[in-house]
Amino acid sequence: MLQMKDVCKVFRTELVETHALNEFSLTIDEGEFVTITGPSGCGKTTFLNIAGLLETLSTGQYLLDDIDVSTLSDYQRAKLRNQKIGFIFQSFNLMPDLNLFDNIDVPLRYRGMKAAERKERIDEALESVGLFARKKHVPSQLSGGQQQRVAIARALVGNPLFLLADEPTGNLDSNTAHGVMDLLQKINDDGTTIIMVTHDQDLASQSKRNVHILDGRISSSDLTTVNENAEPRAVFA
Amino acid sequence: MLFYYLRLSALSYKRNPILSSLMVLAVAIGISAYMVIYTLNYVMGGNPIPQKSEQLFHVQLDIGNPNQSFDPPRQLTYLDSMALMRDGRASRQTMSSKFVGIIEPENPELRPFRSVGRGASADFFAMFDVPFLYGSSWNEDADTNLQQVVVLSRELNERLYGGGDSTGEILNMEGNTFQVLGVIDEWNPVPKYYDVNNGPFDTGEEIYLPWNLIPSLELSRAGNTSCHKPVVGVGWQAFLNSECVWIQYWVELETPEAEADYANFINNYGAEQKQLGRFEKPLNNNILDVEEWLIEQEVLPDETKILSALAAMLLAVCLLNTIGLLLSKFLSKSPEIGVRQALGAHKGSLFIQHVIEAGFIGLIGGLFGAVLAGFGLEGVKVLLGEDLMQTDWIQLDLNLIAITMLMAIMSTIVAGLYPIWRACNVNPAIHLKTQ
Repeated sequence: MLQMKDVCKVFRTELVETHALNEFSLTIDEGEFVTITGPSGCGKTTFLNIAGLLETLSTGQYLLDDIDVSTLSDYQRAKLRNQKIGFIFQSFNLMPDLNLFDNIDVPLRYRGMKAAERKERIDEALESVGLFARKKHVPSQLSGGQQQRVAIARALVGNPLFLLADEPTGNLDSNTAHGVMDLLQKINDDGTTIIMVTHDQDLASQSKRNVHILDGRISSSDLTTVNENAEPRAVFA
Repeated sequence: MLFYYLRLSALSYKRNPILSSLMVLAVAIGISAYMVIYTLNYVMGGNPIPQKSEQLFHVQLDIGNPNQSFDPPRQLTYLDSMALMRDGRASRQTMSSKFVGIIEPENPELRPFRSVGRGASADFFAMFDVPFLYGSSWNEDADTNLQQVVVLSRELNERLYGGGDSTGEILNMEGNTFQVLGVIDEWNPVPKYYDVNNGPFDTGEEIYLPWNLIPSLELSRAGNTSCHKPVVGVGWQAFLNSECVWIQYWVELETPEAEADYANFINNYGAEQKQLGRFEKPLNNNILDVEEWLIEQEVLPDETKILSALAAMLLAVCLLNTIGLLLSKFLSKSPEIGVRQALGAHKGSLFIQHVIEAGFIGLIGGLFGAVLAGFGLEGVKVLLGEDLMQTDWIQLDLNLIAITMLMAIMSTIVAGLYPIWRACNVNPAIHLKTQ
């Protein structure tokens, strides 16, 4: 589903040349829940941006659903991003002027979907994160955990091939963070592939595979052991 | 998506109301200043009779002093006018000149008053599409037989007869009686193309009568008179025989062939007069249609050109300010643009969204600009004053309001192109992480 082979990403200024990713190779299959960990500046976010088609790679090959993305135009990359990728950000990135319904509507608008179908999907997505009753609220009226659930609904509403989550619990307290993690687990259990960047080893241990990056290269890629005896937590904060 | 983008524009306006209002104000001030001057130019320099301006021709015969290199005089002598009228070569033709007379109303409540009139040939009304409220104009017999008939303006009819149908009434002027044949409706062509040398923006005349009555009744002439040779003798007959020019002469020529024929005709007439020793300069006769005549006469004062340039500069300054404000507004939206890109917006759709947002600001600016321009034009009327010239025509019509809106929208979009281009080319990755 996602194949990167010998991907390099170099950021150049007049004085400095930074190799954010260096001969980076990774394959992620459908249905996986992969966490990406590593110290600050190791290239986690660069990987996520390239995987999300927000940045271009310098050299190497990236196949997304068997499509070589390096040859695509801005329009084709945007279309692919809209149809196959859902984003979840650390700071939620909801649009403050739009209510929850309209926030979730944004990716569907760019897909050119009819109003009736959009409404059906948005209502379904809001139901799935337990915020249907608040669809006319604006983000500032919600708690952090609720805002992140709206962001998850927005990422899921287009039925993407995979979710890219960049520190999705970084701005949340631990209890709420666990609630969001449980929601992501549930989404993964339902079949959606998730790739999540995190600093939190505890959260990383909850995924099926953890990829550790160091200096722009993969230092380890291990299957994790899920603690089956852990206390059940509330799904929503 | 248009309505979606318009809704986003309204939300964006609400998010930064002060910044957005400053942009609206800048656009409104620039556009209103420009539209005030544009309106003056538009009305003063417009075509006052577009439906047939290419068929109406002003005639000039070069009867000037051979030692001076002036263009042909604007008007004709009585001798030449009568000669051209007698020949009747055009499908319609008219002599025309101003006079003043004292009207003595029959109504005892009204005191005698001075009135400005125009002597004209019977064709004058049909040539210039003069609309009639009551009755009609006189015919050629009245011209030839010196029938004492008049046509009144709507205003004079209002004053003398309370606005009713006055056809058949008898009017007393300068000790003579005239029968009222008709009353013309509102008719104030701007500029007054048929007599630009006597005030192109003056109000129209109040009373019209057959031209031949002016000399026969020895009415007081009004308007410019120019003589390149002294008048020999005294009295009306001496003046009529002189080389003084004081009569405007217009012809209606319906086809280019007729125009060419008429040009040949007046050149032949000029050559004949040269042979007779009257015309001493080389042939330089003109027939100019309405628009050519207005351009040739430079009806628009030079001041309007200077004012146009100043207004355009003010608009440019306002738009430069708008560029700065739009840059600030759109760059502050970089995080949102980044999110939209992540959610599937391509640069083209973001560009269109922000062009519509700039156009939305332009639209509101245009609305305010139109209101300000309305006030500005009222100010111009006060400055010009009714004594200097008629000012009723100085107003925004639907065309001008549409032009104001279009100009405001287009100029704001043009001003927004660089800020939009900058905003759409931000790296979304940077803003998604740091928002």
